[in-house]
Amino acid sequence: MPEQRRRLSDALAGGTSRRGFLGRAGSWLLATAAGTAALQAGIEDAEAHHYCGHTYTTGSCPHPTGIPRVDLHGYPLRARDGHPVDDLGRPIDRAGHPLDAHGRRLTDPDGRPLPPAPRSRVCQDGVPDRYGFHTQIDGSWYRCCGGKVRRLMDCCAYHQTRINGDAALTGYCYAGRRVFCVMYFQTSVPC
Amino acid sequence: MSAAAAILLLTAFAAGVTGAWSPCGFSMVETLGGARGRVGARHVAASCTTFALGALAGGAITFTALAALGSALGGAGSTAALVVATVVALAAALGEALGVRVVPQIRRQVPEPWRRTLPLPLAAGLYGVLLGLGFTTFVLTLAVWALAGIAVAIGSLRAGLLIGLGFGAGRALPVVLMAPRYATLGQRLELAMAERPALLRRLRLADGALLAALALAFLANGSASATRLVAVRATDPSTAGGAFAFERIGGAGAVLLQRGARSELAARLVAIGGRFVATGDGRAIEVRDRASGASVVTVAAPRATQLAVSDRWLVWRANRPGGGDRLWALPLPLARAQPAGSAGVARLVAGGVGSHAALDRPALSGDRLAYAATTQGGSRIVLLNLATRRRLVALRARRVLLSQPALDGDRLLFVRTTYCSQRLELASLRAPRRARTLLALGTTAQRDAGHEPGYTSQGSEPSRCPRGTPRPTGRTLWTTALAGRAAYVTLLRPGAGRAPAAARIVRVRA
Repeated sequence: MPEQRRRLSDALAGGTSRRGFLGRAGSWLLATAAGTAALQAGIEDAEAHHYCGHTYTTGSCPHPTGIPRVDLHGYPLRARDGHPVDDLGRPIDRAGHPLDAHGRRLTDPDGRPLPPAPRSRVCQDGVPDRYGFHTQIDGSWYRCCGGKVRRLMDCCAYHQTRINGDAALTGYCYAGRRVFCVMYFQTSVPC
Repeated sequence: MSAAAAILLLTAFAAGVTGAWSPCGFSMVETLGGARGRVGARHVAASCTTFALGALAGGAITFTALAALGSALGGAGSTAALVVATVVALAAALGEALGVRVVPQIRRQVPEPWRRTLPLPLAAGLYGVLLGLGFTTFVLTLAVWALAGIAVAIGSLRAGLLIGLGFGAGRALPVVLMAPRYATLGQRLELAMAERPALLRRLRLADGALLAALALAFLANGSASATRLVAVRATDPSTAGGAFAFERIGGAGAVLLQRGARSELAARLVAIGGRFVATGDGRAIEVRDRASGASVVTVAAPRATQLAVSDRWLVWRANRPGGGDRLWALPLPLARAQPAGSAGVARLVAGGVGSHAALDRPALSGDRLAYAATTQGGSRIVLLNLATRRRLVALRARRVLLSQPALDGDRLLFVRTTYCSQRLELASLRAPRRARTLLALGTTAQRDAGHEPGYTSQGSEPSRCPRGTPRPTGRTLWTTALAGRAAYVTLLRPGAGRAPAAARIVRVRA
């Protein structure tokens, strides 16, 4: 229950940068008002954010195609169909060669496949490269999205501000780390 | 300062001076100059100073804000923006030449009570700010409106500041010049301004001439930055000593252009450098003297896929068994002593044991070799002195593709590709990180909205591309060449399946 309270108070405060005050207010409200069931419903139903399942206002981790879909190892996938993409946002094959819209290898004037481009893990490699501090995935939470179970992942750091610029939340981070940015992994498990 | 920037500054200054004919302009001279008897010369001098500072600040505020607006709207600095700025300047120049009435007009004046209720230096400073702002009182020339439009179109804060300071200085100068000497020079000039409308007419003609010059400067700038088509169905340009060579796509031979002559070469690969031309046919590479055509060396290189040559070295790329590429180097002075067909002295310079990096087309300048190496973990441009074997990573990036280097002396041309854009960049080898963009294209990847359908866009900002990012394209910046003021790049439309690639070579001013 205290953990749930902490998460939901984060959620209540997540819409603003004045989260010190709102966090405390949210915590107080939760402690004195609704029961556990109501709290759970509050979390599960909150979808007024930029992708399904995400309940806070923390922004996406920088992703080559936009919506922060990743594979289990944290490498970027195209949100539309889960196809692997490189750091330039191009769909690629297993060897990293870029593909056209029909899944065929792109070729140069000599007929050679275009060379692979770098491909980095969105949280573990991309965020440190861009922002200059260590990040890691601590934990995650699963929700039902579009008939499939989705794993919501927080990219955590010892950092007081989140990618949006205002105060960072605890989210699914541990050991004092806070959520810097968010992403997800889409399972094929029906729900 | 570029010619366009100098003309921009001058135009803004002239537009500011023209404002002296406004009711407020006359009032300022009278207010500050006429106060000398009451408050003394030092007070007037102080008031002139605050007026000038206020005018400069006002001008800077207005035009920098307009430039910031242009920058925020996106597209600033693009060819379309340059066209808009040119058209605006030309239209205003025509209007000034014809002496048309200034519309829209702002029929407002600065508050008169300030000069009575506030200390004169303070009132003068505030008056200066209002006049410097440009659009708070009567506008006497179309140049003011044109400069506002140009500031938005260019969208450069630096250009906005330049216009603002020029305009503020122009507004301040007549007052600062006339007010301290009001009893003598000031009143005489005021009379001339008031009774000789030809003076204002001439000044507006000068504004028009400067606007026309500005339009010409924009046109020159545009043509200088524009790409020029050099060859169609062509790829892999190379250039040296005024000669230019390229390959026809689809293995249809190569072309060498030098001293006004065009030579068709029965080769699949071609590169020129120093006094040599190197050609490859898939089995061997032959190096010839470009002037005499005499063969220097022939090297067996059955898997060669790219070439580079200089006065001292021949370098070629070959597929690496097991994946990746290799670069081989052959010293040409030694090669001349070797019997034709021998490649015994060639040495492996990149792509050795354990390396699976994809290597781009190599580039040579004297002993210096440049090549781009890319792995999943990142890309880098490496410089290798083939004589001393000293290797240096000139540029390195983790999530960015650095590719297609070309060398000219100590200058490096290369392509930087991110998920937002592709840029042809030029840098000095002494400071390779401070590169200048010569050509920018959008990404070849398809990006989504950053949020799922039906969900808010809040939170998608970190993955968005910055404003002004070129639109996505189907063309890829490919192989490059560099010599003097000319940078060449292949614009590649990649092939897929049975559809072959299409490519053309364009030139950009370096």
